[in-house]
Amino acid sequence: MIAAARSRSSRLAARRRRAGILLSLPAVALVVALLGVPIGQAVYYSMTIWNGITATWVGPSAYASTFTDPIFWRVLENNALLLLAVPFAIGIPLVIAALLNEHVRGWRFFRSVYFLPTAISWVVIGMFALRFFSATGVLNQVLAHFGLGPSATDMLAGETSALAALAITFVWSMIGTNTMIFLTGMATLDPTLIEAARVDGLSRWQIFFRVQLPLLTRFVQFAFVITVISAFSALFSLIFVMTGGGPGFGTTTLEFFVYQTGFQQVQFGTGALYGIILFVIMALVGLVQLRLIRPSDGEGW
Amino acid sequence: MAAHPGRRPLGPRLRRHVWAWALFAIMIVIAVVMLYPFWYMADNAFRSPGQFDRQSGHSLAGWSELFANLPVASQMLNSTLVCAAAIAIILVVSTSSGFAFAKLRFRGSGTVFLLVVSALMVPLQSIIIPEYVNLAKLGLTNSYAGAVLVYAALGTPFATFLMATYYRGISDELIEAAIIDGLGYERTFLRIALPLSLPAIATVTVLQFIQIWDDLLVGLLFLPPGQRTITAGLATLSAGRTTSIPALMAGSLISAVPAIVVYLIFQRHLVKGLTLGMGR
Amino acid sequence: MSRIELDSVTKRFPDGTTAVRALDLRVGDGELLVLVGPSGCGKTTALRMIAGLEAVTSGTISIDGVVVNDVEPRHRDIAMVFQSYALYPHLSVYENMAFSLRYRGARKSEIQARVAEAARILELEPYLRRKPRELSGGQRQRVAMGRAIVRQPRAFLMDEPLSNLDAKLRVQMRAEIAQLQRSLGTTTVYVTHDQTEAMTLGTRVAVLSGGVLQQVAPPTELYRRPANLFVAGFIGSPPMNLIDARLERGDGGPLVVFGPHRLRVPPSVLAGHSGLDRYLGEPVVVGIRPEHLADAALAGAPPAGPAGGPAPGGPAAGESVIELPISLREELGSEVHLHATIGAAAHAGAAGDGDDVRSLATIVARADPRSRIAEGTIARLVVDAAELHFFDPATGASIRDG
Ligand SMILES: Nc1ncnc2c1ncn2[C@@H]1O[C@H](COP(=O)(O)OP(=O)(O)OP(=O)(O)O)[C@@H](O)[C@H]1O
Ligand SMILES: [Mg+2]
Repeated sequence: MIAAARSRSSRLAARRRRAGILLSLPAVALVVALLGVPIGQAVYYSMTIWNGITATWVGPSAYASTFTDPIFWRVLENNALLLLAVPFAIGIPLVIAALLNEHVRGWRFFRSVYFLPTAISWVVIGMFALRFFSATGVLNQVLAHFGLGPSATDMLAGETSALAALAITFVWSMIGTNTMIFLTGMATLDPTLIEAARVDGLSRWQIFFRVQLPLLTRFVQFAFVITVISAFSALFSLIFVMTGGGPGFGTTTLEFFVYQTGFQQVQFGTGALYGIILFVIMALVGLVQLRLIRPSDGEGW
Repeated sequence: MAAHPGRRPLGPRLRRHVWAWALFAIMIVIAVVMLYPFWYMADNAFRSPGQFDRQSGHSLAGWSELFANLPVASQMLNSTLVCAAAIAIILVVSTSSGFAFAKLRFRGSGTVFLLVVSALMVPLQSIIIPEYVNLAKLGLTNSYAGAVLVYAALGTPFATFLMATYYRGISDELIEAAIIDGLGYERTFLRIALPLSLPAIATVTVLQFIQIWDDLLVGLLFLPPGQRTITAGLATLSAGRTTSIPALMAGSLISAVPAIVVYLIFQRHLVKGLTLGMGR
Repeated sequence: MSRIELDSVTKRFPDGTTAVRALDLRVGDGELLVLVGPSGCGKTTALRMIAGLEAVTSGTISIDGVVVNDVEPRHRDIAMVFQSYALYPHLSVYENMAFSLRYRGARKSEIQARVAEAARILELEPYLRRKPRELSGGQRQRVAMGRAIVRQPRAFLMDEPLSNLDAKLRVQMRAEIAQLQRSLGTTTVYVTHDQTEAMTLGTRVAVLSGGVLQQVAPPTELYRRPANLFVAGFIGSPPMNLIDARLERGDGGPLVVFGPHRLRVPPSVLAGHSGLDRYLGEPVVVGIRPEHLADAALAGAPPAGPAGGPAPGGPAAGESVIELPISLREELGSEVHLHATIGAAAHAGAAGDGDDVRSLATIVARADPRSRIAEGTIARLVVDAAELHFFDPATGASIRDG
């Protein structure tokens, strides 16, 4: 009896603990072994010079020499330039979602069509974009048809224009995901709010900007994070198919640089270093993401 | 008001009509922009290189060239097998851990959960080099195993988050009822929680299927050339630049079909996954 | 069949909340004990400890004389009916009821027989193939009951099983549960926050407040002899009027004085409350049930003195008349509720509140519907002084025997 009175948690609680540990173990093991450990290894590799056969330790100075490498900054500049596409990748879907939310005839069909790119691989998208932007491509044909522009410029041939082509393709393929996010957000809005605003005499535009948009802040933030993550770490396939990082380093972003350095030039150490820098950038974005997710779950984990 | 329809000024009504038609027209234009690539692929896949240059006439030349240069059938099978195996692992691991994190909290489970979920933010490129070295050393890059494991690990954080969110929505009383009915926690998970989470399982499956089917990087690096997925196969075919455009279009089309079909059938689950992903 | 005993059971949550404090409770074999109290008083926690879902911090719980503190829920052989019913949504009604038996290794024929029997008793036979979501609230409630019954457990634990039903259904199901429990004779602990439900259902009722047991008694006893201010205020609807007063010496015996009003305490009351002696000249809290205030015009009482004191001629034994302004008259058909303002403070709360804000009180009289007392008039109300309750203002305890 005394023992019973003293035991703070019951046998049931012990069982629950045991079951909890047992059931969560596989996931933890998988994530630690294949995502956690390699991060640690990458930090180590990043401070070595390693061609796949012989590795020499350089230490933190590896980072110092990277930060003086103009090519590295050229690559980071590409990443920064890609960020210019983000407002479009958010603004356009926002408008589309608002239009869809008017529920005109056939809106369900349109919705399915607009979301479709989410299902398509970047490889396939890149495959089309390659033809679209090429000298004999669709874009030039269309421009020529309207008598516009000196036709037959290959956008993928110039460093800046190639990056622009990449950004346009990126925006196009983000439309589905972001429209989906915003439409979901709009569905959560209380319709009586909009009716109230209408009764109060606000115009359609005023309702959108003054009522709906402020209430969608959370969703806009979420879309922003998703878009930035995609821009920095999901464009590998697109670049691989469209430009191979070229011309020059015109479309080489950090993630592609990792691949080039590590697997094409077989400099595992430097490749890992670029990977770590990418990780740090993503982690910063991730902190924003975390702040977005946490308030909604009530009792924090 | 409704008693005097004739007295109603025509202006607003007309404006509403114009607005509705304008809206409809805009929707059509957007739809064309979104669908054009698919039309382009479908159109040009059925041409020979000559027909493509002239942009007239159709034939199956592109397809025969595709099949001559790419083992389409076996690569589709590879994709299917890799997807199935990785998704199976993800489901086993994420349902059980999601349940544990949501309903069987133990000391430190909150932190562990946060760690698992924050692995979501690890870009593959950041770890790809050590990952490749590790798996190559273990000899896992000579078969499906390496790619399957990497896909499983990459999918687990988000899937765990989704499942935990879903299980948190199941009332504690239901779990306790099962405990009082005489089940252990493990069996409560299998008999009560798991069957109830079928919608979330469908969502995870669809999300992961599309993700893995469409992926290039892992397929490119972790699978031996003979066992490449269709997406990786297509990308390498295109990188070779020896193949004609109609053949590449045909390849794009056929590689996209499974994901499109899954998308069209399970659209609802995709949207739900996204919403759940926001922790709502 | 079995007895459940709680010995000085305390539950402190890791965050420091003490939900249940030194609870002593005995539930006899076949008894239906109702645990009642306001929201957050620890009823659910107490029940969950009996079920084994929550560990006790200190004290012991025993079933049939065996301490079960360390016994897992599934080995305690008790069944629980949850407030949300907790029916397995993916299983049919039949499977829901059979579920537990199946995992306890019962034979198939046995399971079938028991489920069929329970379904018959609860009139669930037409719904056995349905899923819970295809049932009405009342039917779901019955399935939850059925799931408990088929187990033939040593005890039923029910946590507000009727609170999700509408008022009418609640009354009907209340009767059904009472009947069922009586015919099965299974020991039952029933939790509710509804005092009417508690009174109509329980053989005995345990009143809990702030995790502390206030009183355990049969319903009538609880009503007629509340142990303290909390029970007095909690049991009964409309609640007992509690007024801060003084006990003073008068010509014909002690007087209860509050504001301008005086009530004579009849000798019969004095005899039953020998402890009152010590309060002469001291403050007391006096309690008057609404039904012990009547329209003087209908009661045929003689006119009262101007200050509302005892009439010089001496009224009928145990009666006194007070004059009060009526602020509200509520028609209930079978009775009227008269809200009157008294020129004195209402008792601010149960003992130990430390709340010194006193407002002029409203008291409620439950009068005969034939009463013609109107709002805004001064009414003469007869107090059945034989039914006065007295409480110590400091401790809140009922004043009875010295
Ligand atoms: N897991 C817990 N951790 C900390 N405090 C808790 C926990 N569960 C309950 N409590 C607290 O214990 C007290 C009693 O809770 P309990 O659920 O037993 O109340 P109750 O009487 O059933 O109320 P209600 O009628 O609202 O259901 C409350 O103050 C509650 O906040
Ligand atoms: Mg409760």
